[in-house]
Amino acid sequence: MSEAAHQAMSISEKITEGMGIKTVFTIHAFGYDVPVSDTVISTWIVMAIIILAAFLLTRRMREIPKKPQLLLEAFIGFMRDFVTEKAGHHGKDFLPFLGTIFIFLIVSNLAPMLTPVGGFGFEPVFVIKPLTRDINVTAAMAAIVIVTVFLSSIVYKGPKGYLKSLVSPIPIMLPFNLMEYAIKPMSLCLRLFGNILGAYIIMLLIEAVVPIAVPPIAGLYFDLFDGLIQAVVFAFLSTIYIAEAIE
Amino acid sequence: MDVQSAALIGAGIAVLTGLGAGFGIPLATGKTSEAIARQPEASGKITGSFLLGIALAEATAIYGLVVALLLIFK
Repeated sequence: MSEAAHQAMSISEKITEGMGIKTVFTIHAFGYDVPVSDTVISTWIVMAIIILAAFLLTRRMREIPKKPQLLLEAFIGFMRDFVTEKAGHHGKDFLPFLGTIFIFLIVSNLAPMLTPVGGFGFEPVFVIKPLTRDINVTAAMAAIVIVTVFLSSIVYKGPKGYLKSLVSPIPIMLPFNLMEYAIKPMSLCLRLFGNILGAYIIMLLIEAVVPIAVPPIAGLYFDLFDGLIQAVVFAFLSTIYIAEAIE
Repeated sequence: MDVQSAALIGAGIAVLTGLGAGFGIPLATGKTSEAIARQPEASGKITGSFLLGIALAEATAIYGLVVALLLIFK
């Protein structure tokens, strides 16, 4: 009994340790202590990957594209078609914004697969954990999206048209229309956070119970597929919200 | 019963929200397959609204998960 209890303890300890966000080091500047968590460092790595890819892919643009440029053009064309289909011809103005969100989420959800996990006496220096399992990341992204929705609604409809849209279709809908500005970012934030954290916990559980053979197969679904789907869903919902705001 | 065990039971009950998503998403998937079988040329539009629908249906399950996590690791 004591052995089983000990094992259960170690699994729950592992999960608690995996879920926590560690402070790697602290910067002392201007009389403040700025803690730098592992999420921030992972964000720097993701930023470096995206900047490097952007630099390398656009370095030698040609009239007759080669393979990497062709891939890039197909990707951009796909996003442009998607955004203009959902948001009309004004949707093109939001293509850079939505594309940035989409690319950032894809890279940050797939980046954890880059680092080795360790084991057999080997310990990697730094393990990238999924960025979006930290609620601060998803909350920031949701805040960016909702501010964009609010401002673009005012810009594209004009101040008068915006106020009119608040009381449409009937004036009694005003509180519900205002409530949307709180509900939309909350659901965006919690959906991404919950999905990625849930998948991460399940992967920790699987790795604790069956350390060999099963984790790579389960990881195909929980790390690769789920991360991609959630990036698509986040960008998709942002597009829908913006399309609603500017129509 | 102390507060800790009550919170754990509450977390277990909160995860029951997964039932909603478990019934809703298969229903949406089945209807999507039927719609695509009936009109294969409209599959792009159907897939779009399907993705939106499952994202919204899944939200209830995710809220349950977040509440359960808050109860356990508060």
